[in-house]
Amino acid sequence: MAIKLDGEFEVKRKPEDVYDFLTDPNKFAPLLPDFQSISVQDATHFAVRVNVGISYIKGTADVKMELAQADRPRRAQYKGQGSVAGGNVSFTARFDLSAVNGGTKVAWQGEAQIFGRLASVAGGLLEPLGKKNVQKLIGGLQAALS
Amino acid sequence: MSSSNGKDAKNWVGQALPRKEENRLLRGRGRFSDDIKLREMLYLRFVRSPYAHAKIVGVDTSTAEKLSGVACALTGAEIVSQTQPFIEIGPDPFARIKDYPLAAAKVRYQGEPVAAVVAESAALADDAAELVQVEYEALDPVIDAEEALENQSLLHDEAGTNLVWNGVFEYGDVAKAFKEAAHVVTIDRMHFHRFSSTPLENNVVIARWDPKDERIYYQCNNSFPSFAIQFLAAHLQVHIDRIRVETSDIGGSFGIKITSYPQMAVCALASKKAGGRPVKWVETRSEHLTSSAHGNERIFRETRVALDKNGVITAITSRHIDDCGAYPRYEPLGCVIWSQVFPGVYRFKNARIDFSQAVTNKCPVGPNRGYSRMQHLWFLERIVDVCAHKLGIAPDEMRLRNYVRPEEFPYTTPNGCIYDSGNYPRMLQLAKQKIGWDDWKKKQATARKEGRLIGIGIGTTLDSGTNNFGQSQIVNPGLPYSGNSQGANCKLDIYGEVVVAVGSCPQGQGHETTAAQVVADVLNIHPDMVTVRTGFDTERNVHTGFSGTYASQFAVSGLSAVHGAAQKLKAEMKRLGAFVLETKEADVEFGTGAQGPELIAKSSGKSINYWGLANIVNANSASLPEELYELTLNCRYIWRAPFKVPDKQKKYGNLTMTYASQLHIAVIEVERDTFIPRILDYAAIDDCGTVINPPIVEGQVYGATAHGIGAALMENCVYDAVGNMLTSTFSDYTPITAMNMPHVKYGHISTPSPHSYSGAKGMGEGGAAPVHTISAALQDALFDEGVFIDDSFNNADSLFRALVGKEISQMEKLVKVEKR
Repeated sequence: MAIKLDGEFEVKRKPEDVYDFLTDPNKFAPLLPDFQSISVQDATHFAVRVNVGISYIKGTADVKMELAQADRPRRAQYKGQGSVAGGNVSFTARFDLSAVNGGTKVAWQGEAQIFGRLASVAGGLLEPLGKKNVQKLIGGLQAALS
Repeated sequence: MSSSNGKDAKNWVGQALPRKEENRLLRGRGRFSDDIKLREMLYLRFVRSPYAHAKIVGVDTSTAEKLSGVACALTGAEIVSQTQPFIEIGPDPFARIKDYPLAAAKVRYQGEPVAAVVAESAALADDAAELVQVEYEALDPVIDAEEALENQSLLHDEAGTNLVWNGVFEYGDVAKAFKEAAHVVTIDRMHFHRFSSTPLENNVVIARWDPKDERIYYQCNNSFPSFAIQFLAAHLQVHIDRIRVETSDIGGSFGIKITSYPQMAVCALASKKAGGRPVKWVETRSEHLTSSAHGNERIFRETRVALDKNGVITAITSRHIDDCGAYPRYEPLGCVIWSQVFPGVYRFKNARIDFSQAVTNKCPVGPNRGYSRMQHLWFLERIVDVCAHKLGIAPDEMRLRNYVRPEEFPYTTPNGCIYDSGNYPRMLQLAKQKIGWDDWKKKQATARKEGRLIGIGIGTTLDSGTNNFGQSQIVNPGLPYSGNSQGANCKLDIYGEVVVAVGSCPQGQGHETTAAQVVADVLNIHPDMVTVRTGFDTERNVHTGFSGTYASQFAVSGLSAVHGAAQKLKAEMKRLGAFVLETKEADVEFGTGAQGPELIAKSSGKSINYWGLANIVNANSASLPEELYELTLNCRYIWRAPFKVPDKQKKYGNLTMTYASQLHIAVIEVERDTFIPRILDYAAIDDCGTVINPPIVEGQVYGATAHGIGAALMENCVYDAVGNMLTSTFSDYTPITAMNMPHVKYGHISTPSPHSYSGAKGMGEGGAAPVHTISAALQDALFDEGVFIDDSFNNADSLFRALVGKEISQMEKLVKVEKR
């Protein structure tokens, strides 16, 4: 099952600052909803552990992340893959940055493919939950970059 | 003279005898596979694929195996190294595919097992299974059968195609019929949806690979074990005689437990790895819904119907694409089994069906109740119904004009099947009477003026029973199967008890009762004096390669075998009785006296009871003269159906022995505000020839009706674009319950079959009559709204999309009529 979300927001920081924040796993990852821990492998690869709770399905998800596209200060794109509760999730998250009014406009796109038990059992809940979590993430980003 | 047993001779068949099984089953004293607890038993849990289509990059079971209490784990790679792929029924190129019970190189449907963990408890096995790490590389899934035939993404590289089988079934002079037609109706596309069965008891396997004698012991609820052991022996590379399969009470199967042999294989291999300890696997409900077996999904393309000026169908052409899921397994038998009912209940002689079957990244199909035939019968009923509406002929009149007529039986179909007996007009008349047809027509007219959407629909269908397995040679001429047979044993044991053993594995069909009725009639005793040992057991019960319970056949094959064995026993008893009673065989009568069932000499009045008779053969044999040494009072009989191998090129021959028929009428209202279809009234008429036990037949009609109503309105296996099954729990699959069932006005007629000894016809599958009937009723309700019921599944959502959104099921787009 596929979930696609996109949107944009503006912050007062310069694109270079926003880019540096987004591509620093130690800054970016803790903003993920229900973040537990991070393990950085190298400059472009890290793994995060997040709590997952969807109705009766509860557990942790280990997500392998890769900074797949890094074009300072215009674009950063992550690819991720994780497993949770008998299911797998793969996703991309892209941030396109442009200078506006002395700050930065962040146009973001997220696309997730969910496979397995999670989609089968909780498919109807995933899209609203995904939206809620993305709003949390974006809210966190805005707050951190303010 | 013997006292009466309460009934005249030869009349237990047909009596409404309470089921002998009820005493055990209703008191909770049944013995189901999960009730079995063995010493040192281990429990198996499968690790299943979340992906519908993916390469397996790696499987790591080490963490799971380190968990205390875990006995072992199995992976696909390990199984590949120890076994042969399962045999394939289909011909090349699909015979080349490698089907193993655990995926090794890639997975082909969501829920496919990739590993198994065996532990001291079921809970521990669950926990350990969570620790197995599997790395996948996702591949493009193919969810639609038509898309699969484009071969853009192959499921089985060895086959080089997703096409499992293709064949053209052509009879009569199709071109001439279309040339002479007064009307030609064209239907672009119809779709029969994917659904399954939801037996109370899921699949259960207990396997023990005994290291001492290298034999495999199964206790399970597979419903066609003689088929399963043929697959297992070749796969496990053991002689078939070294596999013992025993079934006990089974809580429903509906055909889909036939294909549990892959799980049976894994349990045996797990037992072997665990040093011979018994291994039990109990399927969860979600596993059952995602990964056991579904019914076949089918698409009907480019259908053309030729009709004369009176609306009589003269020819049909169509292209059918069947979706068998990820592995063929019991398929491609479904590619020919539909042709048992090639013209349905109708008289047209000219037809051409181009039939293909494709694999897709969905759960493999199994022979679900009404297997392969219900899809085709639904297709025919949709044709008849939409032609009636488009040509302005009342649907009941349309059917009467096209039915095979009562005087035409036995009726030979265009493809050589012989319909034994039937009277469809009489069933229609009775159904109309039961439902109050004329009253409903008036109510419907009034309701329509009020803007209400009420429809009345008819579904006429066939339940073909007792297959000619020679039809398998139409899909693969190299297969070594033809005919049909069933075995039974009838004996007088050492204390004179009549004991019948038969190789069926009933799942609620009342075999203990009906077999006892048959034997009671032969021996002129009460059925309670007959003990019937049902349940398949390769070591205890008589069985043939066709033994099991499937395909509406027990009343014909099973009871014919029981009857034959009882007749043999009777002949031996009579011969022995004549010797003991010092009279001629013709003078010996069977009955029941003060000391139980007995034989009596009419001339002298001397008698001997069954104990005395059995004692002579079993424990007092010195008194037996040499010429009677051959008597055993333990008689085995193998019944064989008088089939011939069909003509494989012409696809012509008799494929089934009996044709029970069903005619249902439904009155349905689609609510204007909610679009919920509600059944307002329902009638079901059945004709299964001679009825052995009326309540058992009636119960099976109710069961089949519930199954069909559930399928038509509630139950649908929904997959998303990447192959996630979205209806993997009862919350989403919504199986029908008693609360959803309308009151069914049941009736029956009886046209005895000339093809069975008793006149009975196999029944129980019900021909999926409600699916056709509900589609017809919805069509009647929505025809004026421009809706064509092109799908077998209809719920509030789909009806909303058709009626309001105009997105789907638009008559104008899908159905064209050419009037000449």
